[in-house]
Amino acid sequence: MNEFADERLNIKRKVLVVDDEIVNRQMLGKILGEDYEVHYASNGTEALEKLRDESGLISLMLLDLMMPEKDGYAVMEEMKADKELASIPVIVLTSERAAEVQSLQKGAVDFIPKPYDMPEVIKARVKRSIELSEKTNVINATQSDALTGLFNREYFYEYVGLLDHYNPDIKMNALAVNINRFHLINDMRGRKFGNDLLIAMADAIRSLVREEHGIGSRIDSDSFFLYLPVHKTPEEILTVLANGTEAYLDNPRSRIRLGVYESADRALEPERRFDRALMACNSIRKNYSTQIAYYDEVMHKDEAFSERLINDIGKALEEKQFCVFYQAKFAIQEEKDVMSSAEALIRWKHPDLGMIRPDQFIPLFEENGLVQKLDRFVWRESAAQIKAWKDKFGIVIPVLVNVSRIDLLETDFIDEISGIVRSNGLNNEDLLLEVTESAYTENSEQIVEIVNRLRGLGFKVEMDDFGSGYSSLNMLSSLPIDALKLDMGFIRNIHNNDKDMKMVELMMDIADFLSVPVIAEGVEEEEQYRLLKDAGVDLIQGYYFSKPVPAEEFEYMIRERVDSLKEREK
Amino acid sequence: MITLDVLKEFGANTDEGMERCLNEEGFYLSLIPTALEKEGYLKIEDSIKAGKLDEAFEAAHALKGVLSNLALSPILKPVSEITELLRARTETDYEPYLNTMWEQRDKLAAYI
Repeated sequence: MNEFADERLNIKRKVLVVDDEIVNRQMLGKILGEDYEVHYASNGTEALEKLRDESGLISLMLLDLMMPEKDGYAVMEEMKADKELASIPVIVLTSERAAEVQSLQKGAVDFIPKPYDMPEVIKARVKRSIELSEKTNVINATQSDALTGLFNREYFYEYVGLLDHYNPDIKMNALAVNINRFHLINDMRGRKFGNDLLIAMADAIRSLVREEHGIGSRIDSDSFFLYLPVHKTPEEILTVLANGTEAYLDNPRSRIRLGVYESADRALEPERRFDRALMACNSIRKNYSTQIAYYDEVMHKDEAFSERLINDIGKALEEKQFCVFYQAKFAIQEEKDVMSSAEALIRWKHPDLGMIRPDQFIPLFEENGLVQKLDRFVWRESAAQIKAWKDKFGIVIPVLVNVSRIDLLETDFIDEISGIVRSNGLNNEDLLLEVTESAYTENSEQIVEIVNRLRGLGFKVEMDDFGSGYSSLNMLSSLPIDALKLDMGFIRNIHNNDKDMKMVELMMDIADFLSVPVIAEGVEEEEQYRLLKDAGVDLIQGYYFSKPVPAEEFEYMIRERVDSLKEREK
Repeated sequence: MITLDVLKEFGANTDEGMERCLNEEGFYLSLIPTALEKEGYLKIEDSIKAGKLDEAFEAAHALKGVLSNLALSPILKPVSEITELLRARTETDYEPYLNTMWEQRDKLAAYI
């Protein structure tokens, strides 16, 4: 038997007895009075008034059906139509067998025949009805998303399992729905407008799943999942969703994107099936001309590849399959272009898959929280390498390492990085730290404070991906930085006097205002080099000078330039 | 004064009625006079005489519920018969049923 909350919480619930005969009311009051606070009404109108006065505090109503003026049926009808009252359970009191069926159909949870059963039977029926109703209310509250009333993620997956169980032969599509740039709608039109849009989307989804005998869910923010029998085409589904949201979206068809995993494989856990739909949906995140994407072979291969990498991460760290490559940076505003420093770039030498690029595995590390381990590995390797070159050639080649937002917020970060530098006999300025522009946007005050402390200790901090669009001009003026690194996107396509070149010049002005040098990365062509040099960019990194190479190869570059490097160090 | 013995002798199923009142004699007995108030009975009679069978049915049905809960079988019997006839809106001579009803009601009411 489940625990009944009043026994634990010492609550005396309220029940309302509605009967036009005082004898009947008193008799029920006697039976229930020991366990409940009993309220009375002698007709339907009075009953509804009492329910409203007690606003949700009546746990159950015992209702006589045949009463003058407003009878029990009319009371139940009114309750059904009133959101506040609809969830209050009703036990009907009747001597008519025929009325029992009708009252259950009208929403009564049980009936008590007249003449009354034994008091114990009445008490048990009342108790059980309250328990059931409270449990139902709790389930309704926990299984639904509060804003839209759709299932939340956990319950959605539960019901997907149930649907599969009872319909093992029906082919189902897993669909993921998203609204492009929803955060901008919230920013520009306000949260209320954004919420109304989400509710309209949920209503459209609800009508779809009812018609198609499927289920829907709001996963988070503007993400929705649908599990529908293979019947309507994705185009038709998109049309229903667009029609439902047209009051809120200017061009709804182009603003909604749909990821489809067709005839989802039931051997997979529901979570995995919807991961695939979501993967398809995310594949067109920035492609505003395509609204529907299907999970296909290519995605399947990508997924299998990612999964392989995730499985191999632990072993790779243990077996030191990671190594650090170095890419030289050249100062280009002097008489001759000179190598000035290097950037450390991680590579994964997988025993079966060969060399794996960081863009293929870093996001996976970020997801499972192992990226910090990897960062620390790079810091240690790089510091040891600076020391090795220092010992060998008698010069310091500073190496730039990446520091993520999460790294900066670690309580032992400054101790860790200082310890690494110290243990290699280096100065703090020898290990250059790179923080992306986006890292400054969240918890910016805290980040600024840590960066200030680092600079106070002599570390040099460069801002990566500058111009990728996160900083406000106001914030920039207060940022503690020693160099700006231009976002590679601007460099890739620059030509004389074009828009990207104008952007570079604008950023040069900002760097000038902040009195910090500017670094351009991704420089591959002579024309890019020339334009950037003319624009006053201080340092350049890219295939134009050298690709990232292993430490041994980098050593050749140092050896060739060792005299000029020593000269420059003086 | 109405007592359990009086009710038993009258023919009421006092065990059943008492059980519904958690075997509290005082409470059970306190409900009896209300069930004997003339108003309910008059409403049945007057409505029948006025040809208002719907109203008569509602009144008879209500009284039947009370009498059955209190297990006052001798009055319950004619009231149940009247209720069933009225349920079908039967046009018949209700006089004998009404007489029995009053007779039984008055018999018990005399003890109040």
